[in-house]
Amino acid sequence: MSAETQVSASLITEKKTNYRFRLNLFRIFIYVVLAILLLITIVPVWLLFVNATRSTVEIQQGISLLPSKFLISNYNILLSRGLDLPRGFLNSFVISGLTTVVTVYFSLLAAYSLVVYNYKGKQAIYNFILVLVMIPTQLSIIGFYQYMVKIGLDDSYAALILPTIASAGAVFFGKQYLESIVLTELIDAGRIDGASELGIFHRIMFPIAVPGAFTMGIFAFVGAWNNFFNAFILISSRDKYTMPMLVQTLRGDVYRHEYGAIYLGLAASVIPIIIIYFLFSRYIVNGISMGAVKE
Amino acid sequence: MIRSNYRKNYYGYLFIAPFIIGFLVFGLYPLYNTIALSFTNTTMMKANGAFVGLQNFERLFADKTFFTAITNTWTLWLMNFIPQLGIALLLSVWFTNTRLRIKGGGIWRMLFYMPNLLMPSAIAALYFSLFSYYGPVNQFMVRADLLPEAVDFIRSPDVMRGLVVFIQWWMWFGQTTILLMAGMTSISVAVYEAATIDGASIWQMFRYITLPLIKPVMIFILVTSLVGGMQMFDIPFLLTDGRGSPANSILTSNIMMYMKFRSSQGHIGAASSVGVVVFIMTTFVALLIFYLLREKTDKKVKEVRS
Repeated sequence: MSAETQVSASLITEKKTNYRFRLNLFRIFIYVVLAILLLITIVPVWLLFVNATRSTVEIQQGISLLPSKFLISNYNILLSRGLDLPRGFLNSFVISGLTTVVTVYFSLLAAYSLVVYNYKGKQAIYNFILVLVMIPTQLSIIGFYQYMVKIGLDDSYAALILPTIASAGAVFFGKQYLESIVLTELIDAGRIDGASELGIFHRIMFPIAVPGAFTMGIFAFVGAWNNFFNAFILISSRDKYTMPMLVQTLRGDVYRHEYGAIYLGLAASVIPIIIIYFLFSRYIVNGISMGAVKE
Repeated sequence: MIRSNYRKNYYGYLFIAPFIIGFLVFGLYPLYNTIALSFTNTTMMKANGAFVGLQNFERLFADKTFFTAITNTWTLWLMNFIPQLGIALLLSVWFTNTRLRIKGGGIWRMLFYMPNLLMPSAIAALYFSLFSYYGPVNQFMVRADLLPEAVDFIRSPDVMRGLVVFIQWWMWFGQTTILLMAGMTSISVAVYEAATIDGASIWQMFRYITLPLIKPVMIFILVTSLVGGMQMFDIPFLLTDGRGSPANSILTSNIMMYMKFRSSQGHIGAASSVGVVVFIMTTFVALLIFYLLREKTDKKVKEVRS
């Protein structure tokens, strides 16, 4: 081995170790950034849950990252001030549950129509649904409210649930999903067996589409659970208040300086969603990805 | 497309009918009704107001507060959207880069996304408590000697505006990261390999391969975020007193619409006119972005092909 090749070989190894070192340094930098972002994401939510278990005096004395033992007393303060948490929970569950069923069923039906059948105007309808996804529908809430008053549906859950029959985003998602799973052979076999078209949709397509329906359902549920604006405008009776509306009342004078109780009310309103998320995060993350990437 | 049974195709109309009817009854008619109401002086007290022509719009455009609300809405959206896209681009490049091999990509991304699912009204109330005079942020800052004494954040227009921007960013950067990652992982590895052989740098690969190929996802993110941002309500409404305080700093157009609706008279007509103006503005800008960017990609493809 000549001296020259030896020198160049050592240069290459030096370059390699240098590169490795820089890459590792960069990796450390990335993990630090990720850790900071994680802290920013988690700490506010963590403080929310911790403070829900602490007394107002404790909260005013300082920050703690460990829970205390005032959960029950905070709950009693909320109840004594007239915040009917169980009632709000029930109301929100009823609305969100029904919204989920309505959205999933009718959106899958519409998506099935777009994927399985060929008819005039189908492409136009599909393009129209795409445009609908991009339209700020909340801005017609005043006209919607006045119309509901006229037909006697204001202050009713029907006004919150029925509009979800036409959920453009869900139909779009449903179409993407069905295109990847619908099998013509199965549909044809169903027809030969004499099943009705709706029967095929119910008994053949639905069982296959359960994962997609489930993902769609999670988004519908979360959306309905968190919906404040529409409920705030449409619902007026106190006993029909949903969780976000109860949260809004926590800002009132009645709870002034009852910090522990306020944190508890807020924590209660987000906990079902956090449980759902940690159980089904895979579906949710995949669902978001599917909504955007075509082909 | 799936070849389907000749005579059964009319079922297609039947199955899409609920959607169409639902849209006509609960989507299109309310929109028409809002537009119709915006030309009347309807209030909560008198159900059928008189036709007043463009009076509501004239008053609206003469109102400085309305321009403040529109400017605020745009500012609050842009200020959160730009860093949101920036951080999300950075994170998605890091997570998808095969050389960096970042561990636990799925878990990081799952945790970063979590705030997006939390109830916005609860989030706003939470941040209000955290930043209140006796709240944890003041306690921490004073104890860590970062501030000489507690600051009344809630009364500072700049802090509140910054806080709305931060909360929006906090809630959305995870979702944007997931979307961008979905776009990036759908790009074939072979393209990058070919570029590496041609001696392209990491930056060149990002600029000339990744960016053009994730353009459809970027348009999707831009348009959906814009439409959401123009309707911003829950966070600024519940962060302070529901009137965009302090000094109208976080007054958005939707809050203004709500204030007109719930004013002592309940000016439904005037509230509708706010909705109509913002609706036209948002739809116009959203469709403009969509078509401008779409056509450009098509043209480029055509140029390459010809």
